[in-house]
Amino acid sequence: MIHVPAPDPFTVFGLQRSMDVDERALEQRYLKLSRECHPDLHRQQETGDCIAVLQRAAEINDAWKVLRDPWQRAKSLLELASPGVLDREKKLDPAFLADALELAEEVAFANGATINPLRERLERAIADDLEALHGAIRSGEHALAARRLHASHYHRKAMRDLDAKS
Amino acid sequence: MTGTPTPAAPRLVVGIDLGTTNSLAAVRAGKGARVLRDQDGEPLVPSVVCFHPDGRTIVGRAGKALRLEHPDRTVFSIKRLIGRSVRDLGPDLNHLPYAVVAGERDLPRVRIGDAQWSPEAISALILQQVKHNAEQALGHPVREAVVTVPAWFDDAQRQATKDAAALAGLDCLRILNEPTAAALAYGIDGSKDGTALVYDLGGGTFDVSILRIDQGVFRVLATAGDTHLGGDDFDELLAQRIFALLPKTDDPYVLQAVRAAAEGLKIQLSTQERAELQLDLGARGQVTLAVTRAEFEGAIAPLVQRTLDCVQRAVKDAGLRLEQLDDVVLVGGSTRVPLVRARLQSLTHKVPHTGVDPDLAVALGAAIQADVLAGNDRSLLLLDVIPLSLGIETLGGTVQKLILRNTTIPTSVTEEFSTGVDNQTAVDLTVFQGERELAKDCRRLGHFKLRGIPPLPAGLPRIAVTFLVDADGVLRVNAREQRTGAEASIQIVPSFGLTRDEVRKMMLDSIEHAQADYLAREAIDLRVKAEAMVRGTQKALAMAELPPDQTYAVQKATKALAKLLVGNADAPTLKQACDDLSKLTATIADDVISSAVTKALREEGSK
Repeated sequence: MIHVPAPDPFTVFGLQRSMDVDERALEQRYLKLSRECHPDLHRQQETGDCIAVLQRAAEINDAWKVLRDPWQRAKSLLELASPGVLDREKKLDPAFLADALELAEEVAFANGATINPLRERLERAIADDLEALHGAIRSGEHALAARRLHASHYHRKAMRDLDAKS
Repeated sequence: MTGTPTPAAPRLVVGIDLGTTNSLAAVRAGKGARVLRDQDGEPLVPSVVCFHPDGRTIVGRAGKALRLEHPDRTVFSIKRLIGRSVRDLGPDLNHLPYAVVAGERDLPRVRIGDAQWSPEAISALILQQVKHNAEQALGHPVREAVVTVPAWFDDAQRQATKDAAALAGLDCLRILNEPTAAALAYGIDGSKDGTALVYDLGGGTFDVSILRIDQGVFRVLATAGDTHLGGDDFDELLAQRIFALLPKTDDPYVLQAVRAAAEGLKIQLSTQERAELQLDLGARGQVTLAVTRAEFEGAIAPLVQRTLDCVQRAVKDAGLRLEQLDDVVLVGGSTRVPLVRARLQSLTHKVPHTGVDPDLAVALGAAIQADVLAGNDRSLLLLDVIPLSLGIETLGGTVQKLILRNTTIPTSVTEEFSTGVDNQTAVDLTVFQGERELAKDCRRLGHFKLRGIPPLPAGLPRIAVTFLVDADGVLRVNAREQRTGAEASIQIVPSFGLTRDEVRKMMLDSIEHAQADYLAREAIDLRVKAEAMVRGTQKALAMAELPPDQTYAVQKATKALAKLLVGNADAPTLKQACDDLSKLTATIADDVISSAVTKALREEGSK
């Protein structure tokens, strides 16, 4: 009896493995699956089934969490398409890292008038990251996509730090 | 209102709001739900237990009425103590007129004379009274319930509430978050999709939840709150002004009287611009005080601001902006305070809904979820979240979060662990709940010991530990060694609340004393009923224009009953006198008395 890992989120939702997801259709699918599998609506069943129902409901909730978030969706896709790629492609361009450090410093010292322009810059950087990430996954450049995903962490962290300040 | 259940009757599960100040039960009725009232037509059971010196345990309104007479034997706000340790409670215990001592494992025990009561046992007495009222109203036994708690309650507080229900003879099918329940009460038909903010300010706790309602699925997006912020704190600020005018004292009578006076002032200030107090405590002092609404609002403004900070955090956690809210719903008695409404409205730019009585909404919502869990309604589904992150302690005393707060439940996560020493066969894991980084700042939930790991060099065993949070928000842990497939057994030692053995023993004790308890409660019920009849009849007599002979006959029977009440008559005598009086008033009611008077009589509780 080896631990069985949970099925991937695309399988749980019965979806094609793709970055392109219709958000409203995804939400509808989530509600439908929840109705079918939530333990509250299946309380009359045997105890053995109960655990299975519970696990299935947990899988649906956990898959929904991944699928609705474009970053987590990309991460999951990358791991499925090319297992281990995120671990292998950790090394980022030193020039990028220098920029990222500078950005973190700017965030740390941001106040008053400098906050809004900085936020706009970060928003653009994050949108660019996401677009490049999608593009790389679509064209099958998994190594490139993995590096871009790692790079985006710096921008998203800077944004969180900035949000925490205001 | 007695109904005999037919064989085809659907399974009946009640919803119970076990509140800091008041408790009540409700049941599904048609498309909505209805509260279950006691024989006097009152839905609320004050969450107060008086341990009378004569040995009686008096719960609810009758108990609350004794709080000035027996301040050190009348327990209120027990919900603030449940599932917590004396160390957690700290200075909160100082203001209580009853004594709280530290029992085993630093658990609080209420000391009444020589006896010590756990918060679970006292909560069970309140639940028993609610159950009893529900059974009277429904005409048949109640065994299953959904019980509500503040969303911010941690695992130990939830477990303790479940234990209290078990002690009261109730099978608790679900511990439901209060703001979620309230949202169900508002959005029951599910026809109106949208995003709602539920602002629940009760006597002792504050909760805020953001929900999305979508085709009958109620999805909680985020919840936040403060376990220690409520109307009692407003009272406390007013009480401090009263105390300032009195000589310093810890006389329980004075503490209780001042508390009651402060609450009275607060209630007046919800409808008046100015309230006056004249408190005469005899030899203990006199107080004359006038408070304006502006002064009161100035004092509570920082507390109200704290609730608004929570609201903003919840909206952010839900990934929304304030403008994206469609509805704002008010729950809890303290939302009657005008400043609360005004500040919330100016923050959200939405006129808050007040369509359902804020005191009843939680129980009504619990009744709806109860019906879903009973299997009677499959049109609704509630998807709730865990309110606090779950994590395990790692080296150095930090907490590694495994499941983040506001994650929809059920949810699961699997983590891999290994050993640090050669041939190690057991690993200790301590689970914490909370948002802080260090274990010492989080709530220790329990301790898991994984045994049966095959003896291997350090770092080689691969132990997959799965943490599964079920639909109750309760954590289940399961562990397997990956290489050998050996299952590691897990022992759970709860850090707070009662151990399983204690619960079992208390349940056995309660069965042993069930007969005596039942008789005692019957006698109390009868007294309460008789008192209501005397009051009701006197009121009706004043309203009705009866022929003199009938007036005389009713007055005579009423006086006879009142005399028995003063003279501490036994139950059978009292019952006879009650029956005599109700026969008399019933005939008159048929003949002469207008429907208004019959209504007055019914309201006052005659059968």
